[in-house]
Amino acid sequence: MTIKHVLAATLLTTGLSAPALAQSNTDITVVLSEELDLVEPCMATRSNIGRVIMQNISETLTELDVRGDKGLMPRLAESWEDKGNGTWQFKLRQGVKFSDGSDFDAADVKHSFDRVFSDQITCESKRYFADTKLDFNIVDANTIDITATPAQPILPLLMSLVTIVPAETPIEFVRDPVGTGPYKMTEWTAGQQIVLERRDDYWGAAPAVTKATYVFRSEPAVRAAMVEAGEADIAPQITEVEATNPATDFTYPNSETVYLRIDQTVEPMGDLRVRKALNAAIDREAFIGTVLAAGTELAVAMVPPTTLGWNPNLTPPAYDPEQAKAWLAEAEADGVNVKAPVEVIARTENFPHVTEVGEAIVDMLKDVGFNASLRMVEVAEHEQYYSKPYPEGRPAQLVMAQHDNSRGDPVFSMYFKYHSQGTQSGVNDPKVDELITKASAATGDERAALWSELFAYVQKDIVADVLLFHMVGHSRVSERIDFKPTIATNSQLQLAEISFK
Amino acid sequence: MGKLIGQRAIASLLSLFGLMVLVFFLSRLTGDPAVLFLPIDATEQMKQEFRALHGLDLPLIEQFWRYLVDLVQLDFGESLRKARPAIDVVLEAYAWTLPLALITMGIVVVAAIILGSLAAFKVGGFFDRLISIVSLVGASAPDFWIAIVAIVIFAMGLGWVPTSGVGTPLHWVLPIGVLFIRPFGLVVQVVRGSMLSALSAPYVKTARAKGVKNLPLIFVHTLRNGMLPVITVIGDQAAAMLNGAVIVETIFGFPGIGKLMIDSILQRDFNVVLAAIMVTALAIFIMNILIDIAYSILDPRIRH
Repeated sequence: MTIKHVLAATLLTTGLSAPALAQSNTDITVVLSEELDLVEPCMATRSNIGRVIMQNISETLTELDVRGDKGLMPRLAESWEDKGNGTWQFKLRQGVKFSDGSDFDAADVKHSFDRVFSDQITCESKRYFADTKLDFNIVDANTIDITATPAQPILPLLMSLVTIVPAETPIEFVRDPVGTGPYKMTEWTAGQQIVLERRDDYWGAAPAVTKATYVFRSEPAVRAAMVEAGEADIAPQITEVEATNPATDFTYPNSETVYLRIDQTVEPMGDLRVRKALNAAIDREAFIGTVLAAGTELAVAMVPPTTLGWNPNLTPPAYDPEQAKAWLAEAEADGVNVKAPVEVIARTENFPHVTEVGEAIVDMLKDVGFNASLRMVEVAEHEQYYSKPYPEGRPAQLVMAQHDNSRGDPVFSMYFKYHSQGTQSGVNDPKVDELITKASAATGDERAALWSELFAYVQKDIVADVLLFHMVGHSRVSERIDFKPTIATNSQLQLAEISFK
Repeated sequence: MGKLIGQRAIASLLSLFGLMVLVFFLSRLTGDPAVLFLPIDATEQMKQEFRALHGLDLPLIEQFWRYLVDLVQLDFGESLRKARPAIDVVLEAYAWTLPLALITMGIVVVAAIILGSLAAFKVGGFFDRLISIVSLVGASAPDFWIAIVAIVIFAMGLGWVPTSGVGTPLHWVLPIGVLFIRPFGLVVQVVRGSMLSALSAPYVKTARAKGVKNLPLIFVHTLRNGMLPVITVIGDQAAAMLNGAVIVETIFGFPGIGKLMIDSILQRDFNVVLAAIMVTALAIFIMNILIDIAYSILDPRIRH
């Protein structure tokens, strides 16, 4: 019995109640881990901003069913069609109004993209269109042709990442976002709270939540305590230590994958046997339920299993230190300098117990004969090691990183992590480049098959990196509301999915 | 007195300028804000556009000159992260830090003087033991632990106050309570020590011999003489509090300057860092001038 239990019992017997915020039964309070710097629709792909804005204030043309099998679903676009030569035609939903009362039409779609591509503001969603030029042809008020050069087979999927704003929105960051979503922002007190209220003129079904207040507490124990004390209803991202009450606490995959990036250009990492030895040296199972939360899964790809083309035939590398030693001995006999220093570089506070994970990995690598050491660095320094251009004259480095892809398609990961031109890639393999190019341009089953082939090739054939874990997150949800956090909760928190018991 | 304040003000302004120059160049040594503002897989073109948009691609000396020109017009630049004037962001946060610091220090000073004097008057008595315990807790227990325990007991258990946040006077109870302990522990010990020596002075014996009662003896006759070292410590503690209380702000979700400053440094939001440091420095300079004035009021020898 903990102090909390004793105090809770005291609370019940004395009839004292926690000072719950005055609110109606259908109002909720969400306590987030960090305050939003901006409430700007074109930044909604940044997860902390997306949780408030995405599909609550602002909507997108399409929407991906991340956790289910419905695939890409209509939202502001009712249907879309490939017209060939890189052109997709989108039929827009009629009778939709923005929260300022104006009608939604094709000109709004074009303007939303004009903002994203403008060099007057830095919109995060622009990165998804890195080398793609888009041209817009407004056919009529409810039909728009979008032509991508070069042709972009997943254009409808990319539409799920760009929020639509009215054509009158200035090309600068706004502080009073206007959208077509079921909620409008009615208050933003910097440093304190953001309030969304349900719209009466929303085009879709009216959600159950009438008002949502977002508050910000960076300490997970406080977030958990707020739900327990009745001050908040949903607390995403509490720690495993806090997640002890089965009635309110949920554990679920959070779409983050942890891995060690190998830079193959530095000795001895260019040798396949050395990379296999790295993989065989690490006892991945030993971490789960000890330093990492129970429920953590072993990774066989850079993306979670809900992603297109995920290869079910792949298995995690077996923990086999003897085999690792044998591979290293074989490489050494061939003149590879397997005793060269290997630095494991990890980022402080990247995920819970990151230091312990780093220390254990270094010990396991030492056990099989690697000359390994651990360096913990801050986020900015980590970025220097993780992204190109890599530092000159560096020793062999294994950069521990956490990658999030809840977007449903591997294209958002594979180019950056494995293509020879990819910003965080340590691989230079023509077949990898070719598969990425082909898969990115393919559609349907062919696309899934190509991604699947690429996953197998990088994991088994060239052993490009040390894939470790698909992580889990923990959230606390008050017992009065009916909401189950899922893999999608990492980047958005749709109020429309919340109901009351 | 006017001359003293004038001299202090000129010295403070010069220091402030030197601080600004130092922070301007040192903060830029930390690296490129584009890398942290943009997602990790942003293209080089996006990074270049970001730098051009915010003038970060200009030579450093030109950036500095532009900053100076804007500064003389009281324009502290825009926050990169929040797309708002940096000074607005800072003043908003300071509007929370200042009352938190003043109220806490006010309570610390009053409580420390009363309890410290009473403890000195009767060494080993109730008040002496009480302040020893509080000082020990303040010196040895980390703030974050006290804060979490306070939430568990007073917010979750007893339900007397909210766990965190701002909005009602009740929201201030825990942050002030937690912030109070450490400076109180320190100041009260200095009051006690200083009063012990003041109370053993010959004029105290004379006063006693003349039949002066205990309370007037302590608070009217002796206290003023015992206050000089106390003022120095109060100044130190208040300066620390004017810098913001990062841990208390973090745990209680209190939107003060401490956390803003740390976040801005980590995110390379240079204009906010500069504005925050200048506003904080100005507050500390003003407080130091007030302390000097307090000295001269308490001890006329300084005035002359």
